[in-house]
Amino acid sequence: MTNRGFEKHYYLMLLPGMVWLILFSLVPMLGIVMAFQDFNPGLGIFKSEWIGLENFKYMFLLSDSKTIMFNTIYIAVLKIIGNLLVPLIFALMLNELRVIVMKRWIQTIVYLPHFLSWVILSGILLDVFAFKGPVNGMLTFFGVEPILFLARADLFPYIVVGSDVWKEFGFNTIIYLAALTSINPALYEAAAIDGATRLQRLRFVTVPGITTTIVLLAVLSLGNVLNAGFDQIFNMYNPLVYSTGDIIDTWVYRAGLQNLQFSLATAMGLLKSVVSFVLIVISYYLASRFANYRIF
Amino acid sequence: MKAVKKIGFICIAILMVVVTACGSNNNSKSPSPAADSKDGNKVTEQPAAADPFGKYKDPVTIRIGQGIDPTDKSLPQGDTPENNQYTRHIKEQLNVDTKIVWQASKGKDYDQKVNLAIASDDLPDLVIVNDAQLRQMVKAGQLADLSEVFDQYASPAIKGIIEKTEGRALEAVNFDGKMMALPNVTARGDAVHTMWIRQDWLDKLKLEVPKTVDELAAVAKAFVEQDPDGNNQKDTIGISGPQAGGKIHANFITSSNNTFGLDPIFSAYLAYPGFWLEGKDGKPVYGSIQPEVKDALAKLREMYAAGLIDREMSIRKDAAEPVVAGKSGIFFGPFWMGYWPLPDAIKNDPTANWQAYALPLDKNGEYSPHMATPSSQFLAVRKGYEHPEVALKLLNLLVRDEATFDVSVTLDHYPVRIVYAPVDEIEFTLQSLQEVLAGTKKPEDLNIPGYKLLVDDANKVTKTKLEPYDKNDIQYWNTDDMGAWSRLYSIFVGGKPLMEKRNEVYSLTYSQTKTMESRWANLEKLETETFLKIIMGAAPLESFDMFVEDWKKQDGDKVTEEVAEAVKK
Repeated sequence: MTNRGFEKHYYLMLLPGMVWLILFSLVPMLGIVMAFQDFNPGLGIFKSEWIGLENFKYMFLLSDSKTIMFNTIYIAVLKIIGNLLVPLIFALMLNELRVIVMKRWIQTIVYLPHFLSWVILSGILLDVFAFKGPVNGMLTFFGVEPILFLARADLFPYIVVGSDVWKEFGFNTIIYLAALTSINPALYEAAAIDGATRLQRLRFVTVPGITTTIVLLAVLSLGNVLNAGFDQIFNMYNPLVYSTGDIIDTWVYRAGLQNLQFSLATAMGLLKSVVSFVLIVISYYLASRFANYRIF
Repeated sequence: MKAVKKIGFICIAILMVVVTACGSNNNSKSPSPAADSKDGNKVTEQPAAADPFGKYKDPVTIRIGQGIDPTDKSLPQGDTPENNQYTRHIKEQLNVDTKIVWQASKGKDYDQKVNLAIASDDLPDLVIVNDAQLRQMVKAGQLADLSEVFDQYASPAIKGIIEKTEGRALEAVNFDGKMMALPNVTARGDAVHTMWIRQDWLDKLKLEVPKTVDELAAVAKAFVEQDPDGNNQKDTIGISGPQAGGKIHANFITSSNNTFGLDPIFSAYLAYPGFWLEGKDGKPVYGSIQPEVKDALAKLREMYAAGLIDREMSIRKDAAEPVVAGKSGIFFGPFWMGYWPLPDAIKNDPTANWQAYALPLDKNGEYSPHMATPSSQFLAVRKGYEHPEVALKLLNLLVRDEATFDVSVTLDHYPVRIVYAPVDEIEFTLQSLQEVLAGTKKPEDLNIPGYKLLVDDANKVTKTKLEPYDKNDIQYWNTDDMGAWSRLYSIFVGGKPLMEKRNEVYSLTYSQTKTMESRWANLEKLETETFLKIIMGAAPLESFDMFVEDWKKQDGDKVTEEVAEAVKK
């Protein structure tokens, strides 16, 4: 391993990734200054008028700011919880299944929605929850008045979270299943010989065996607390559910790309990035502390 | 391998359908075709100075961004958006080469692409923009001053059409006395939203055409409850509403073509939300915060709660779908519904007899629609482009030669085309065609400058309109030539309400003021959210009063002052 020539071509392989990172992640960071300017595209980011914290002041004056902050965190936290628990339970159940063929089939089928983009899925969901859609069909069958789900601000966050968990739980299940295979079968045998029931084996062998994975996934998802899922919400919301469904990302999109308020949108985006950065640092610290997860 | 390719194709085809299904309509371009034929006196060879149709000695290249229709299949094999009959005609006549630097599908995608071009200060030489974009670009100093170029190069035909708007078109592009873009001019018909109703359903249920909002509600109730489509299921919609992302009513920024909006119901209460009106003291007031709007909202709320308006308005992805499927009985839209969505509707059900009326009436028994600015699209030229006059030459050529083009290749492929139509095109065409049918005029009498499709229409009308000529019901039409049917049905059925007397209500302004640039989006969101919630029952009617106060507080008053200032000038 002391052969320097050997190491060099590893660095060469790193190059495309680094170029990508610099071009698409680091250079655009210059644009952050727009948040402190009255950005004028004709003058560019170097000559636009500097207005300090004006954009941030206006941002906090807007009644929208509080709403979208709350919505973002609320939806994201629910998603994090749902995406941790549902796949975990499902993986544990699947793990107990004896018929391997069946297990593989189920695994593949629940994994499928993960590959569909929200653009398509949202179209399907709108139909499923439509006034004359299957869900309302079922409700009417049981004598309940049909509900216009996607117009109900009180239900919208749960529809969003529910559908997201449904879409992604197959994928997360696979991660847990992978962790489950790493548990030494000898432990199960020993437990069985000691007279442990199936439930006891689950409680004392399986769960402790994958705790690190659970903790790791939980901690890492902290960085996503401000990512409530732009593409999903953007394709599903409407003005009726802005009060509970509008998140930072959709707001930034509307302000910046539809209404040409570049500086204001940047300011909001910057705020989100700063908070996310803090959360990622915290989550990294926690991950290294509790799950022995280290990058550096 | 072949099979894989085939599947790929099918996937793409399906995707296209999905994409277009989501993306069509609402921004559907007004098909009211641009106007003006050859202005009789062919410009005689003028010396080099400023010839509106002059051919360049050395080739000039235009770099443009083009809005396209992804479903369009009208280009013949081998032709491209950059090389087709129109670009070749331009090359031949003007020695101008067309280079498309980007294209995006018309509507939202195109707007977003332009916004990105503005933000990154990477503009094509020529680009079509809307009012907000124009303002932003002028503010950013990205545009060339076209005042002189316009004076020198605009053809008499274009100058004539612009003059007919009584200064409205020029006002829209006037920034401190400079002309910063070329305004389009559309026919007045795009602005008037009329009531389209299934006459066959009315006849079946033995109902009269509803004249007032109350009668309208009664008819809608019958449409919902009495199974007009006869399938023994309660699956019909009384009145269609806007789709997701659509507008409940037009506004001063987007003042026309609000298909599936509820504008006529607001107008029947003399309520003009989204428009700037003259208040009692003569000062400008904002239409949305007037008490009449509350009355209209109360009625709409009542009708929605009773299930008379589409339950899924503003959530539905495509508002046209129930109309096409024969499940909706009433909707509101401009005259050109014969182009879209009615062709699909009658393909589905040849007896779907859609008729248009200038209704419902207000409390004075009059029809009082809001009117639009004739100019909502602008052709802008990048600052620093060497040949700003090319913009005018392209449009001169378009207006002069449009009648000679084979329009089976859609005119959308003409580079940076904006519409120039005489404001009364629809009404005049209808009148003339009626005279042709009556035998008092011959097609060849109708070669009138400005109305370039008139002769063609006159030639087709006798084949497409069946006797009796005074009845417009669907059974008196020949639908073999759908192209001709679309246009003539739009003119006869959609144009008829335009002939009736109406109280026109214009907005005091059709462009944004300075404060609006940063505050309007927020105010508009507040408004849309409140109105939708009131109509759909998610908020009490009283929240309207709250909205009025909030609106004023959140810089609405400041904006009003600015509008007063702007109107005074």
